[in-house]
Amino acid sequence: MAKKSILHMFDPTSNNSPFDINMALDCDFDVLMPYANVKLDSMHRLTQDTIFSRGPSGVKRTGIFIGGRDMALAIDMLNVAKQSMVPPFEVSVFADPSGAFTTAAALVACVEKELKTHHNKKLSDCKALVFGGTGPVGISTGVIASLAGADTVLIDHLSADTADGIAKEYNRRFGSTLSGDSATFDEDKIALIKDADIIFCTAKAGVQILNANVLSTAQQLKVVGDVNAVPPAGIEGVQLQDSGAPLSQASSSKNTVSVGALAVGNIKYKVQHALLLSMLAGDKPVYIDFRAAYEKAKELLDI
Amino acid sequence: MPKPFILHMLTTAKNLSPFDVNMAVDAGWVSATPYINVEPSEVRGLVQDAIFSRSPKGLQNTGIFIGGRETKQAMDMLKIAKNSMVPPFEVSVFADPSGAFTTAAGMVAAVENELKTKFDTNLTGKNILALGGTGPVGQVAAVLAAQAGANVRIIGRQLEKAQRIADMCNSEFGEGKTNITAGADADKADYMANVDVIFATGAAGIELLSAELVASAPQLKVAADVNAVPPAGVAGLDAFDNGKAIAGSKSGAVGVGALAIGNVKYQVQSALLKLMITTEKPVYLHFEHAFEAARNYIQSAK
Repeated sequence: MAKKSILHMFDPTSNNSPFDINMALDCDFDVLMPYANVKLDSMHRLTQDTIFSRGPSGVKRTGIFIGGRDMALAIDMLNVAKQSMVPPFEVSVFADPSGAFTTAAALVACVEKELKTHHNKKLSDCKALVFGGTGPVGISTGVIASLAGADTVLIDHLSADTADGIAKEYNRRFGSTLSGDSATFDEDKIALIKDADIIFCTAKAGVQILNANVLSTAQQLKVVGDVNAVPPAGIEGVQLQDSGAPLSQASSSKNTVSVGALAVGNIKYKVQHALLLSMLAGDKPVYIDFRAAYEKAKELLDI
Repeated sequence: MPKPFILHMLTTAKNLSPFDVNMAVDAGWVSATPYINVEPSEVRGLVQDAIFSRSPKGLQNTGIFIGGRETKQAMDMLKIAKNSMVPPFEVSVFADPSGAFTTAAGMVAAVENELKTKFDTNLTGKNILALGGTGPVGQVAAVLAAQAGANVRIIGRQLEKAQRIADMCNSEFGEGKTNITAGADADKADYMANVDVIFATGAAGIELLSAELVASAPQLKVAADVNAVPPAGVAGLDAFDNGKAIAGSKSGAVGVGALAIGNVKYQVQSALLKLMITTEKPVYLHFEHAFEAARNYIQSAK
């Protein structure tokens, strides 16, 4: 009888995300084992306990999932796990803290697709702003967009220093070219969006970040993407199902289109699903982070 | 292929109760996933993570259980969870902190049944003492009985604390329609003169009502005791008793013991966990639903 598939879910916070639990079980993992409060220096031991208990055929039915809320920590944990493998005792590892990697990958790829369809542009032709840019999804969005060539700014709702510090830290780690800024009041937002081509909104759910008045001042806005599924939308006028729908609120820009949270969520879901399935599919283990998520999202969208 | 049944089990404590995990899996939930040390402020985030990762159809096979130790906190968490749903992304939620909602429901429904079958009456207007009634089971039993029309007095060792709990029960759970009062344990002999029903919901292994006090109650009809560890909470009442006359009662009172209550509690919790699986529309379950399920079970078992 084939061994049951087991996903060991290591999380540095006090609990796993119910999102990831649902996803993993829906990908036919037989057994999910949550591990909370996992520290980076425990990853080596936990990984080796994972690989040495099932034999070389059993490890092919075993995976490690890394959650949490911190992109850099998740990547560090992934790297330690990878270094702890002792071939042929090795398992696939998938890092997706707070779903940030798959959400950001889907967001950037969806926006990229509309950019091509409606404006015949590439990310490398564009200036992109990430509102809510200092949270897990915002940072991941910024890093992916920047590595894809967009001139990308992470925007914090309070502190430019915070945003700038995060931008520098991630540039160092991943070779991106992010900058940071802040926007608290409408006049700050108006000043920032004037020459923006793309706006990503990854701010807190249920909070409107950009109203119609602010949007009407953008001069060359091409695509907006909003991951907030809880009304009101982060960007006024964006509907949950939008997938290239016109955004009339951006009245000074030509042909602005929007991507809504459920359109992004649909791709995010497919990306995470495909990547979870890939963990046990091949003969060789796979190590999955935001880069693999972005490639998968582009593949799914045929970009 | 239908999605596997996943119950996300939230608790403010540092571990789930294995009781609830066993119950959930036996009710048909395939995966019972623990979330521990959960603060009420984290409920919204957890709920929205749970609802946005499955289609509305898949969400019919998804549920949330709220454990913990405190009744008010669990009710607050249930309300937050309900308010965090974004239809059609919504799932059923069931709160049963320390099993108190289902235990209290089982006890009050069993008592109501004894009143009906042995005394041809009901809870309306009955004088009830909830001994050791400041804990979760006592609180909820007091509320359920008061909602059914009884005059309930919560008895605690410290009058001040009992009063605070009674006030909390009236304002938080009774929706202003109940008038639960308080009394001190030292004064309980005085209350024996007109007591109709006793709920013993104190700590295990402590006698709350002596044989003398049982004998001194001229109109006592039913005594119920959730304590399964000897000595019994009510002298003369055995854990297995289920409507048996209490030795030493001059008024012919009958007893409902911990195992009889536990059986109803078990059936109720199981029924509600199954209801979460079978319901088309999401349900938000607490002690009132548990009481309804307990009444139904007792009727159907006849």
